[in-house]
Amino acid sequence: MIQQDKYLNKLKKLPEPVRQFGGLVTITVFIILSFGILNIYWGGGDELIRKMKIEEERIEKERKVNEVISSLPSGILVFFDGTDHYRLSKEQYEAVCNITKLIPQRAIMAAHFLNYEAYELYTINGNKIDDTFVKWDEEKNKCFAGYTVSGSNVGVNKAANINGEVLSFLSTGIDTRVYFIKNF
Amino acid sequence: MELLKKYPKLFQWLFLLAVFFSLCFAIDVPETYKFIRGQAEFVKDPNQSTYTLFGKEVRYYAFDNFWRLPPLLGWLPIWINDSLFFLLNEWMPIEFWDSSIQEYKTRPLVLQITRNITSFMTFLIEFIREILLGGVETVVAFTSWNFVSSYPWAKLPGLPWTIVAAGAAILGYKLSGKGLSIFAGLVMVYISVFGQWKPSMQTLSFILVAAPLSFAFGLSLGIMAYKSKRVERALYPILLVMQTMPQYAVLVPAMVLFGIGDHAAVIITMVVAIPPMILLTLLGLRGVSPEVIEAGKMSGCNNWQLMFEVLIPTARRDILIGVNQVIMVCFSMAVISAFIGAKGLGWNLLLALNQLNIGLALEAGLCISLIAILLDKMSLAWANKQTDYFGNLTFFQRYKNTIFFGGAVLIGAILAFAGSFFFKEGFNYLFEVPHNKGISTADFWNKGVDWVWDTFFQTLKIFNTWLITEVLQPMRAMYLRMPAVATLVLVVGAGYIIGGIRSAFTVGGLALFIALSPWWDRALVTTYMATFGVIASCIIGSIVGTLCQQNKYTTNFMLAVCDIFQTFPSFVYLIPVMMLFGVTDTSVLIAVIVYATIPATRYTIEGLRSVPPALHDAATMSGVTKLQRLFKIEFPLAFPHMMLGLNQTIVFALFMVIIGAFIGTEDLGQYILKALSDKKGGGKGLVLGICVAFIGLIFDNLIRTWVEKRKKHLGID
Repeated sequence: MIQQDKYLNKLKKLPEPVRQFGGLVTITVFIILSFGILNIYWGGGDELIRKMKIEEERIEKERKVNEVISSLPSGILVFFDGTDHYRLSKEQYEAVCNITKLIPQRAIMAAHFLNYEAYELYTINGNKIDDTFVKWDEEKNKCFAGYTVSGSNVGVNKAANINGEVLSFLSTGIDTRVYFIKNF
Repeated sequence: MELLKKYPKLFQWLFLLAVFFSLCFAIDVPETYKFIRGQAEFVKDPNQSTYTLFGKEVRYYAFDNFWRLPPLLGWLPIWINDSLFFLLNEWMPIEFWDSSIQEYKTRPLVLQITRNITSFMTFLIEFIREILLGGVETVVAFTSWNFVSSYPWAKLPGLPWTIVAAGAAILGYKLSGKGLSIFAGLVMVYISVFGQWKPSMQTLSFILVAAPLSFAFGLSLGIMAYKSKRVERALYPILLVMQTMPQYAVLVPAMVLFGIGDHAAVIITMVVAIPPMILLTLLGLRGVSPEVIEAGKMSGCNNWQLMFEVLIPTARRDILIGVNQVIMVCFSMAVISAFIGAKGLGWNLLLALNQLNIGLALEAGLCISLIAILLDKMSLAWANKQTDYFGNLTFFQRYKNTIFFGGAVLIGAILAFAGSFFFKEGFNYLFEVPHNKGISTADFWNKGVDWVWDTFFQTLKIFNTWLITEVLQPMRAMYLRMPAVATLVLVVGAGYIIGGIRSAFTVGGLALFIALSPWWDRALVTTYMATFGVIASCIIGSIVGTLCQQNKYTTNFMLAVCDIFQTFPSFVYLIPVMMLFGVTDTSVLIAVIVYATIPATRYTIEGLRSVPPALHDAATMSGVTKLQRLFKIEFPLAFPHMMLGLNQTIVFALFMVIIGAFIGTEDLGQYILKALSDKKGGGKGLVLGICVAFIGLIFDNLIRTWVEKRKKHLGID
C-alpha cells in the first residue's frame, strides 16, 4: 500500500507535459490492446480469406465460362472437318468440354440406339439417368461423356453404363450441352 | 525532455501521427477486401459470419478486427424496426369508436395516436390550403357542401393574386419600409405570373402549419428547459444530435410512423425545426440580465407574470430569430419532404430534377428561394422592429396600412371582376394564373444548358475526368485504406490532445459507434467527400472573406450575399451544378463547396471584424505593414472565431453530401435514400442519420473545445 502511494506520488510529481504525454501513450496502447482482444473473439480474417478465395475462384471460373459461351455462335459445335457446323478450335474444344454439364435427352436417345438394354431401362424407369459426367481426357486430348441408367426406382435390379467420346455440342447461347456421344 | 516541456503539444501530435501512420502501413489491406464487400448489407452470402444478439441475427464479413471492426451494432436497426412494428401493430390494443362504421374497433394505442395526429395535421393543412387557394372550398372547410348548395352567396371566389401581392407589399412596408415592400410585391407578382401560385400556396400552407406548431412546442420546451435543469439535461443530447442530423434521415422513421403525404412532412419538419427554436429560446431567456428579473420580482410578479410579462418580452429578439430559423428550416424541409409526397414547389422541383428538366427546376427553385428570402427578411424585420409606445399619431397615420390594404382588396376585386369579362374564354389571369399557364423561362434555361454542354463539353469533361481520377479517387482510396484501429487512435488521440481525457472519451465513443455500425466504410466515404468540400470551401471562404473585409462596402455586400445564399433551401444548389456537370460526383462536390463556402466566408469576415479596433490602431501606430498586421495580429486573434466557421462549414458540407445522394454517391446518404424506399427502412434510416450526426459531432466537439481553450489563452473569452 505504501509502495503504491509512493508510486502514485511520484507520478503526480511528474511535470504536466510528461504526464500528458504519458496519458496519450496509455490511451494509444489501451486502444490497440482492446482491438487485439476483440480480434480474439470476433476476428475471422484467415477464415474469411479462405472462403473468399474459393468464392473468387468460382466467380472467375464462371466469368470465363460466360466469356467462352458468349464467344460461340448458337447451334451445333464440332471439332472435326467435314460438316457445315461451327468448328471449334482445339482450345475451344477443351474449354467447351470443361464447361459442359448437361447431357440432354436427344444425346441419350442417340446413344441408346446402339444399346437396347439401356434404352429399355430408360423407358421403364421414367426417363431417369444417374451419375452423368462430361470430362476432358488429358491423355487422349478428347472429351468424354457418360451416364448410368438403372431400373432401381421401379424394382428392376439392372443398370447400364453408357459412355463415349463427345462428337458434338449444342450451344444455346446461355449454356452448352452434349449433342452426340459416340458409344460404338 | 526540455524540448518536450517546451513544445508539449507538438510532441504529442507528432507521436500521434507517427502511431497513426505506422498502424496504416503495418496493417495490410486484407486480400479479399473490397469496398462494396465491407458492408454487412443484410444480404445472405455463405462467406459471411453471423452472430445473434438480443434475438437478432446479424451477418457480416469477418475481417481482421484491426482492419475493420465487426458490426456489433448491426442488431440496432433491426431492433428499431421490430420495436416500431410491435408498437404500431401489437402493443396495447384498445377499443376505439369508429364513427365511419359506427362501431368499436380494436387498434394498438400507438397506431391510433399516430392516426389521430395524422388526421389532425391533414385537417389543418387542408384547411389552410383552402383558405389560401380559396373561396368556396374554404367555406366548405368550415361548413359543408350542403350548406353551400343551400346558400348560393357562400360560393365565394378565392383571393385574387393582385390582392395577395398588394397585401405582401403593404406588410413589407409596415415591417421595414420601401425596400422590403417593393421586394415583397415583386416576389408575389413573380410567383403569380410564372404560374407558380398554386404550388407556392401549397408549400405555404404546409409551412403555416409546421412553423406555428414548431414555434409553440419549441418555445414551451425552451421555457421548461430554462426552468428545470433536469429537462435541459434530458433535452441536451437530443438537441446536440439534431443539430448535426441530416434532415433526410428523419424522413425514414417518421414515414414508418405516419405514412406519406403532407401530414408526415409537417411532423418531420417540426422534428427538425423545434431544436433551433428551443436553443434560441433558451439563449434568449438566459441572456436576460438579473437586474431585469429582480425588477420584475420587486414589482410583485408571480412566476407566470415574470415569464410572460418580463422574461419573454425581454428575450423577444432571440425568440423571434428562433422564429426566423424555424421558417428557414421549414422551407428547407419543404423540398426534402417532397420525397415523402409533400405537395407544392418542392414536389415540382423534385419532379423537374428527376426529368433532368433544369429550366423547370430552376423556376421552382427560384420561387422557393424568393419566398424563403422574403419570409426571412420579414421575420427578421419583425424581430428588430421596435414598438413606438409614445408616438402621438393621427388616425390615418395609425391605420394607414389597414386602409391601404382595404383599398387594395377593393381594387383587386374590381380587377378580377373586370378580368372575368375580358378573358371570356380560358383563364381569368387577373384572378389567378394557373399552374404551367403563366410565363415560363424553362425553355430558355434548357437551351442555355444545351448551349453550355455543346460549347464546353470537352472542357467540362476533361475537368471532370481529371478531378475524379487524379483527386477524388486517390483521396477516397486513402480514406478507405485507413484501418479502423488507426482511425480510432487518431480520433481519440486528437480528442485527448485538444480537450483532455473527457473529450477523448466523447469523440472516441462517437467514432466507436460508427465503427461498430455496419456502415463504417460508407461513413469514411462521407467523411472524404465532406473533407474535400470543407478544404476547398475554407480556402475559398477565407480568401474571399479576407479580401472583402478590407473594405466596409465589400464587407456589407458579401455579408448580404451570404445571407441570401444561406436562405436558399439546400436542394436548390443541386440545380446549377447538374446543369454544368451532369449527374456525377463532381456535381455533388461543387454543390458542397458552394454551400459550405457561405459559413466559411461569413465567419472569416466576422472573425476579422471581431478584432478590437484598438489593437488595429496600435498595430498601425507601431508601423506594421498591412500584410504584417493581417498575419501577425488579425488572423491569430480572429482564428478562434474562424474555427467556429469551420465547424459550421463541416455541418453544411455533411448536409450537402447527404443530399447529394440524390445525384448518386456511394456514401451514407445513398443508404438513407435507399432506406426511404425500403419497407423495413425505419431503423436503418435512423441509425444512418445518427452516424452522420456523430461524424459532425466529433468535429464539433474537437473544434469547440479547441476554440474555448484558445480564446481563454488569448484572453478574448
